[in-house]
Amino acid sequence: MHWDVVYNNLDYFLWGAFPKGPLGGLAMSIVLALLGIFGAFWIGLAAGLMRLSRNGFVRWPATVYIEVVRGTPLLMLIFWFYFLAPILFGHTLPAAESALTSFIVFTGAYVAEIVRAGVLSLPRGQMEAARGSGLSHVQAMSHVILPQSLRNMIPSFVNQFVSLTKDTSLAYIIGVDELMRNATQVNNRTYNAPTEIFITVAVLYFIVCFALTSFSRRLEKHIMRYQARNR
Amino acid sequence: MRKLSLLLIVSLLLSLGAGVAQAGKIDDIKARGTLVCGVKDSQVPFGYVDEQTKQIVGFEPDICAYIAGKLGVKIELKPVTSSTRIPLLQQGSVDLVAATMTHKLERDDVIDFSITYFPAVQKLLVKKGTVKALADLAGKKVGSVKGSTSEKNVKTAQPACEVVSFETYPEAFLALKQGKVVAVTTDAPILVGLKYSDENPDNWEIVGEDIAAEPYGLGLAENDSDYRDFINKTLMEMWNSGDYKKLYDKWFGPNTKFYIPLEWKMEIWP
Repeated sequence: MHWDVVYNNLDYFLWGAFPKGPLGGLAMSIVLALLGIFGAFWIGLAAGLMRLSRNGFVRWPATVYIEVVRGTPLLMLIFWFYFLAPILFGHTLPAAESALTSFIVFTGAYVAEIVRAGVLSLPRGQMEAARGSGLSHVQAMSHVILPQSLRNMIPSFVNQFVSLTKDTSLAYIIGVDELMRNATQVNNRTYNAPTEIFITVAVLYFIVCFALTSFSRRLEKHIMRYQARNR
Repeated sequence: MRKLSLLLIVSLLLSLGAGVAQAGKIDDIKARGTLVCGVKDSQVPFGYVDEQTKQIVGFEPDICAYIAGKLGVKIELKPVTSSTRIPLLQQGSVDLVAATMTHKLERDDVIDFSITYFPAVQKLLVKKGTVKALADLAGKKVGSVKGSTSEKNVKTAQPACEVVSFETYPEAFLALKQGKVVAVTTDAPILVGLKYSDENPDNWEIVGEDIAAEPYGLGLAENDSDYRDFINKTLMEMWNSGDYKKLYDKWFGPNTKFYIPLEWKMEIWP
């Protein structure tokens, strides 16, 4: 076994060439995942609510977006967007930004469906009661419906975000300096320790994802105290 | 909705047109002050990340640096992969690609190539003293990598052998060590890398006639003959002045792990 290869390059796996060069490694994967999660949440929330609208002009674009993205492999979306961006914007987008956009667009569609399911899972009486007490539709949504349904969505969100965290490894195909790419660089340089290198990569991804799920379990427990259900 | 889509199409066409109507590449590069080069980041010793400095180094980055020096501009290295290098060149994200790219006629349809700067040839890596030439492979198993040109070439050169394909070259080498195949075949520089990844490199040797030629050329934007002439002249100057040999010896010379004798001559126009 050649664990010395892993030991010698551990700093490269963790943060790439930083601070002498661009951020890379696991740090870059985490940054991509966090920004991706943040962007996807808001896009997904908007698209999910748009899809629930009774107005066709609002509902249709959201439906098309969700269906198209859900019917496309993420790997293809990343690749495709990388080469489409220069045509759309007139200048090239760096690989990392391009991959991040793909992550947001992709995960946003799934978050939208989670949001829609979450809102629909509440009893109709909630909306009716809120409207009956004089709130407008938007007020009822933001003060009554969403606070309740977002709590129910937490497990699904976490599921989606853990999945996104692992999917950041796909950015490797367009040359983004994240954990998977850096591991490949080291592997192709040393040739003699593929098993050790990729076991390390797997462990690093696991640690990050496990931290995320543990955090969500605590968050759920904390939030559920305030929810009156099945009593 | 219809207005919106119309607007989208128009802006798309406009930006397409803007991309096409460019001045000469040399003027662009000089105005920008940097030569953006697409290089490999995981192909020792052509282009890879140095363990100490964590920067991309290698034979190809050095060639790019030489060209940038001749243009009097700074150099920017952009890692590319085999699947991104041609599209990036076409859309102008990189000015040239030096990424172990074989000059193939089908690639020449969409981009231009410089003259050959590295003539890779396909060889065999075998256990010392077992196989001498292609003829010895009749009825034997040969390891290569899925989807590579090497896989096809060896089958053409020696139809009587059985090709076993692996995911990566280290896997193919492992199979050779375990006796599952009698030889591994691909471009010689990769075989040299495999050989020296073993604790006892002397147990292995690279043999065989040249199974196929893989001439590496610099990828350049299509239809800019001033630019291509400049690159070709620079490469020839590099050869004539001896700078090429210096660079070659730095990465492939007798004192390196990747020793490949310099046995070819660059195509020099009178």
